Amino acid sequence: MKNTVKRFVFVSGALILAIGIVFTFTLLGDQSSGPISGALHALGNKVIEIEQDYLLSQREPIRSKELSWFQLYRDDIDRLKQPDTIFLGVYDNNYQSSFEHILKMEKALQSNLPFIQIYTAWGDKAREQFPMMYARTIYDLGSIPLITWEPWLNDFKREEHNLPAVDDPNIGGLSAIANGDYDFYINSWANDVKSFGHTIFIRFGHEMNDPYRYPWGPQNNEPEDFIAAWKHVVNSFRNLGVDNVIWVWAPQPAHLKYGEYYPGDEFVDWVGVGTLNYGTVASWSQWWTFDEIFGNYHHWLDMFNKPVMITELGCLKVGGERDEWFQDAMTNLPIRYPNIKSIVFFNDDNDATTLNKSLDWSIVDDSLSCSVIRRAIDETW
Amino acid sequence: MKKKQSNFDGLWQFWQAKDVTKTGRFIFLILVIAGVLSIIRFFDWWFHAEHIASLPLFILLSAITWYGITRIILIWINYLGVKKPARIKAEEGLSVAIFTTSSPGEPLSMFDKTLEACANISYPHTTYLLDDTQDPAFKEIAEKHGAVWLELVGLPGAKAGKVNKALQMVEEDFILIMDPDHIPFPNFLDEVLGFFKDEKVGFVQVSQAYYNQYRSFTAQGAAEQTYTFYGPTMMGMYGYGTSVAIGANCTFRKKALESIEGHGIGLAEDLITSIRLHAAGWKSVFNPVVVSRGLVPEDFGSYCKQQLKWSRGVFEVLFSEWPRLFKSLSFWQKISYLAVSSYYLVGVTTFLFVAIPFLYFWGGWLPANMDFTEFLVYGTPVIVIAIAIYLYVQRWLSHPPSERGLHWKGMVLKFAVWPVFFLGALLAVVNAEIPYIPTAKKAVKGLSPFTRPLIFQVILFVLTLGFVIYNRLYTVSEGILILTSQKIWGMFAFAFVSIIMVIGGIYAAYESRNLEEEEPWSDIDLDKIKLGKK
Repeated sequence: MKNTVKRFVFVSGALILAIGIVFTFTLLGDQSSGPISGALHALGNKVIEIEQDYLLSQREPIRSKELSWFQLYRDDIDRLKQPDTIFLGVYDNNYQSSFEHILKMEKALQSNLPFIQIYTAWGDKAREQFPMMYARTIYDLGSIPLITWEPWLNDFKREEHNLPAVDDPNIGGLSAIANGDYDFYINSWANDVKSFGHTIFIRFGHEMNDPYRYPWGPQNNEPEDFIAAWKHVVNSFRNLGVDNVIWVWAPQPAHLKYGEYYPGDEFVDWVGVGTLNYGTVASWSQWWTFDEIFGNYHHWLDMFNKPVMITELGCLKVGGERDEWFQDAMTNLPIRYPNIKSIVFFNDDNDATTLNKSLDWSIVDDSLSCSVIRRAIDETW
Repeated sequence: MKKKQSNFDGLWQFWQAKDVTKTGRFIFLILVIAGVLSIIRFFDWWFHAEHIASLPLFILLSAITWYGITRIILIWINYLGVKKPARIKAEEGLSVAIFTTSSPGEPLSMFDKTLEACANISYPHTTYLLDDTQDPAFKEIAEKHGAVWLELVGLPGAKAGKVNKALQMVEEDFILIMDPDHIPFPNFLDEVLGFFKDEKVGFVQVSQAYYNQYRSFTAQGAAEQTYTFYGPTMMGMYGYGTSVAIGANCTFRKKALESIEGHGIGLAEDLITSIRLHAAGWKSVFNPVVVSRGLVPEDFGSYCKQQLKWSRGVFEVLFSEWPRLFKSLSFWQKISYLAVSSYYLVGVTTFLFVAIPFLYFWGGWLPANMDFTEFLVYGTPVIVIAIAIYLYVQRWLSHPPSERGLHWKGMVLKFAVWPVFFLGALLAVVNAEIPYIPTAKKAVKGLSPFTRPLIFQVILFVLTLGFVIYNRLYTVSEGILILTSQKIWGMFAFAFVSIIMVIGGIYAAYESRNLEEEEPWSDIDLDKIKLGKK
C-alpha cells in the first residue's frame, strides 16, 4: 500500500511539473509569437528586397514598360489628386498566390490596369500588417496599390496591447480608435507605408454609413465618431511624416445619410463608391442598370467636389445580359459622369461576403463583356 | 592529430555508468511527460486542412515527420526503463573460453596486442585464436601468448562460421567472443561472469568503447553515434528485458548458443543471435562498464562499408527473424527488435527530406503551407525538450568524461551518409546480397567511392541554384515573381541545411585521404590499464 502511494506521488509529481514546463513554453510562445512573427516578417521583406536589388533589377521589365505613360501620374501625388484622365483598375481575389489573373484580364480588355486593389483587415496577424509584399509586387508591375483598410477590431490580443477587456471591441470601436487605443497598430502601419516609399491609395472604413454591413457602421458608432477616427488616422500618418497616401472616403450611397460622415476636404482626396449589380440573385435585389445604381446618387457625390472612384464595378450573370449591362455602363461614361476618374473592376470569382453562397463576379474569362468594354472605351471615351 | 595524445591516458581505465537514482528517474520522467505533452501540442497544430498545399506531398511529409517523432517517443519510453544491474561477484571455478578470430589481411601486430591483453585477463580462462589466414605467423603469435590456435579454413559465414565450428571443439561453459581489434582489460571476466549465476541468463553484453576516436572526424563521428546506445539506450533495453548482443565482446553461455544451434550467421549475426536467444527464453544482461577498448572506423570509406553492411544486415532481422519468432518474444522484445531492425529506414526518410526542396525547385510542388512563426512556437518546445533529454540521459553514459557532448560530428556524419542507409534498405527490400566486407582495421587512403553521392548532391544544389536564378531572370511571369520570392529562398535555406551536413561528410572523406597510416595499438602499454574504482 505504501509503495502504491509512493508511486502515485512520484508520477503525479512528475506530471504536475511537466505540465508546468509545457505551460511555461506555451506562455513564452504566446508572448514571443508577436516579436517572432515581427522579426520573420521583417526578414521576409528583407529577402524580397535583396532579391530585387541583386537579381530582379537585372531583369527586363515588361508590364511596367507598357505602363510607362502612367509613371507621370504615379510619381506625382498632386497629379493623382487632380487627375485629368480616367484610370482603370482591378481587384482580383487570386492575388495572394498570383497576379497572373490580372495580367490575363489586361489581355482580355486590351488595356493596362494601373490601379490594383487589395483588402486588408486590422489585427495582430501577419496578414493584417501592411501588405508590403503585395504593395511591392503591384509597384514593380508598374501599377499603384489601392488598399481597402477595414477596421475590424476583434483580431487584436487585447491584454498584450493593454486594451480594456470588452465583450465586443467593435461597439464604440471608432471612438476607441479616435482616442488612440489602436495607435500601436496605426503607427506601425504608417511607418511601413512610409518605408514602402511610393504613393498608395487607402480606402479606410468604407461603407461606414451602412448599419447592416460592417462593424464600424452606425449600429456600433455615431457619425462624429467616424469623423474623429478618420481624422485621427490621417493625422497619425501626417504626424509621422507619411505623405505618400491618397485617402479615399467611400460611403454606401444607398443609405441616404452619408454627408454627415464626411471628414472634410482637408482629410479626403477622393470619393469612392461601389457599383455592383446583383441581378436577381437575392430577394432584395433586381436587375438594375448602372444608371439606376450609380446615376441615382452621383450628384450627391459630386457635391464633395473630389475625383470619384468606382471602387467595385461588377455585374452578376443572373437575371440579365451581362455584356449589355457593361456596354450600357461604359458607353459615353466620361460625358455622362465627368467626375468619375477611376473604375476598378471587381474580378472576384468567389465572393461569399454578402450571401451565404459564393458569387462569381469575374469577367476575366467573359470575352464578350471584355470586348464590349474595350469597344465602348475606344469609341465613346 | 593534435589533441589525441592528451585524451589518450584517461581512456585506459575501468569505468562504469552512474547508478540510476530515484531523483534521476524523477527528473527524467518530468522531461518525458513534458516532451510528450509538447508533441501532442505540435500534433494538434500540424494536422490542419489549411496546412495542406499538395495532398500527396503533405501526406509524405507528415509520414516522415511523424515516423521520426514516433521513434523519438519510443526511445524516451525506453529510457524510462533505465536499469543498471547490481554487480554480482563472479563465482570461482567457471570454465571460460575467449574466442577471437583472424582473417587474411588483418595485421599481425594487432593480434600480438589483443592476445597479450587476453592473456592478462585475470579470471582463469583459455584463449582460442580461430584462424583462417593460413599464415604460420599467426600460429606463432597465438602460441607466444599462450592461446590455443585453431585452424578453421573454408567455413561459410566468416566470423560466425568459425565460432560455430570452434564451439563444437571446446569444452568450456562460457564463451567470450572478443573482436580482434579490442583490447580487453584484466578485469573483463570479473565484471561479466557473476551474472551467469542466474541460470536463465544466456548472454552478457558490456559497453563498447574505443581508443582511436580522436584520430579523425569520421572516427569521432562514428564513435559519437554509439555512445548513447552503449549507455542509456542499452540500460533501458536491459530494464525491459531486451538488451541485445551487438557490436563486440559479448559473453555467451555455451548451452544457450547450443540451444539455438550456434551463433547466428549473416551481416548482422550478433542481432540474429540475440533475437533467437530471447525467443528461446534466455535472459540477457547489459552491464554498462568499460572493460575493453577497440577501434572505430577512421576513414570515411571504411565507415560507409561498415554502415552498409549493418544497414543491409539488420533488415534481415526485420524480414526473416522477427516475423518467425514473433510469438516467442515478450511484448517489449517485439517492440524493441522491430525498432532496432528498422533503424536504417532513416536512409529512406532522410532521402525524402532531402528531396522535398528539389521537388519545389524543379516541379513547383509544395507539401505544406505552414506559418513559420507558428511552426517555431509549436515546434521549439519539442526540440528543446528532445535536446534536454538527450543531454540528460548522458548521465548514464559508460564513460562520460570522453563521451559527453552534443555529438554534432556524429549527427553530421549520420545525415550525410543517408545514401548508404538507403542503399542498404533497398538491397534488403529486393533481397540482394552485398559481399561480406570486413571492417577495415587500419585507415585506407584515397577518396572513397561513397563520397560520390555527396558530391552529386552539392553539384545538384549548385545547378539548381543556377536554374532558379536563370528562371527568375528570364522565364518566371512578372505576376508571381515577388510573391514566390520568400518561398523559393526559404526553400533554399532549407536545402542548404542538408547541404551543410553533406559538406561535413565530404570533409570527413577528404580528411580521410590524408590520414597517416598508423597502427594505433602499437603505442598502448597494457601495464598502464587502471582498474581502481573510477
